[in-house]
Amino acid sequence: MVKEPIADMLQTFNFRVILEYLPLFLSCFWATIWLSAAGLLGSLAIGTLACGLRIGRSRLLAGAAYAYIESIRSTPLLVQLFFFYFGLPSLGLRMSEATTGIIALTLNSGAYMAEILRAGIQSIPHGQVEAAVSSGLSYTQRMRHVILPQAIGVTLPPMLGQAIVLVKDSALLSLISLPELTRAGQIMTSERFMPAEGFLTSAVFYLVIYYALKALTGWSQRRLIYLQA
Amino acid sequence: MARKWFSLVMAVLMVAGVAITASAGTLEEIAQRGELRVACQTQGPPFSFIDKNGKRAGSSIELCEMLAKDMGVKVTFLDFDWDGLIPALLSKKADLLAADMTPTVKRAMRIGFTRPFMYTGSVVFVKADSPIKTVADAKKAGLKVAVLLGATGEIEAKKAFPQAELKSYKGGGPLLLDAVMQGQADFGVNDASAVIGGLANYPPNSMRVLPDLLSKEPLAFAARWDSMDLLELVNLFFHNAGLDGRLEQNLNYWVNTLDWKKDH
Repeated sequence: MVKEPIADMLQTFNFRVILEYLPLFLSCFWATIWLSAAGLLGSLAIGTLACGLRIGRSRLLAGAAYAYIESIRSTPLLVQLFFFYFGLPSLGLRMSEATTGIIALTLNSGAYMAEILRAGIQSIPHGQVEAAVSSGLSYTQRMRHVILPQAIGVTLPPMLGQAIVLVKDSALLSLISLPELTRAGQIMTSERFMPAEGFLTSAVFYLVIYYALKALTGWSQRRLIYLQA
Repeated sequence: MARKWFSLVMAVLMVAGVAITASAGTLEEIAQRGELRVACQTQGPPFSFIDKNGKRAGSSIELCEMLAKDMGVKVTFLDFDWDGLIPALLSKKADLLAADMTPTVKRAMRIGFTRPFMYTGSVVFVKADSPIKTVADAKKAGLKVAVLLGATGEIEAKKAFPQAELKSYKGGGPLLLDAVMQGQADFGVNDASAVIGGLANYPPNSMRVLPDLLSKEPLAFAARWDSMDLLELVNLFFHNAGLDGRLEQNLNYWVNTLDWKKDH
């Protein structure tokens, strides 16, 4: 009367349908990868710029960067995404789904990257700055040769952490009808009514990306320790 | 010692739980609970939507309230995106699926449908100033068509406009109207009843509905196949409501006219 629950679940879990939808999942897997990669590169660029402005000498630009960072950190990514996708067109600015998605991811992660970089730079012992100043290095030379190389070692792990967050955030892009990994699960669910199979398959692909990024973190950390020694 | 008692009590409860659920049909469960759980759309005017007073309203909502009153139980509405309705029903979150869903054979492989309560068809809608005047115009290559994820309109659009770029929105009909309005898509495909109901929220003459029907579609409620008793009960309800005029009144108010716009 009381069926063995796990055996029961395995009997109804349909692997054949997953194989049938594998091409869809693979193309959506690729979409997630390139959307996340574009977002990552963009966020590194924006993050570096925002961080530079924030700790730079111009009060006005520092204020602007601060405003940008605070507005991103205080609002949910979903709200930002919907604003870009549904809000901007009503104000006259319309972009493709992919463009909107990449911009939303870039601006969102950019703010967090800026903060990570700032924390890293400010964690450099002040003695380093003093030594650099007393050696006669200019601000840019200081940054380029003393501060930033050390800062990167400190910030690389949290930045890769933010990269993983960005990949998971890209799941929200399914809500602006981008054909990425989460949308693949939604499609399989809406066509075959098998949410377990659909979303578990999506999850497995996200796991692959996660482990790839984790391996990258490990490799970069080992390289950095070697360099610092 | 306490642990032994605990395991014994849990074992007894589990056996009792199985024994109780194994014998009850869905109607008995609903009667015991005193509550009919209905899966409806989050945003699907005029069948299920949040009206201007912030309350859930619509044709399907009103029909389910009538049904629950006749059954002698209270009704609880759980709202979902369109593509979440069937999974909600299958996972037993709801007893009944009340929406403008078309009984297709594919869907019927997983859930049981009642007999239809009305008929509609898929239509094409465009912005008022769109160059698309007929369905033939819409068949041009490279146009973008907005459809609802998991709806028959998605399938109809793929069939009728194979050269169009399909944009599948997750959520409800209003998202398609928005997409066409904002220019994210050149035209949209959805049920006539959903399109006309949704257009009520836009300024008049902002969008056009092309006169040709792409398909003829019955609309029905649904329940799991293990709830044949509930399915037959809803059939009985529709039959009776058809005879005493309540169904016609409901459809005339919500679907066949825009009378509901005055109050909601």
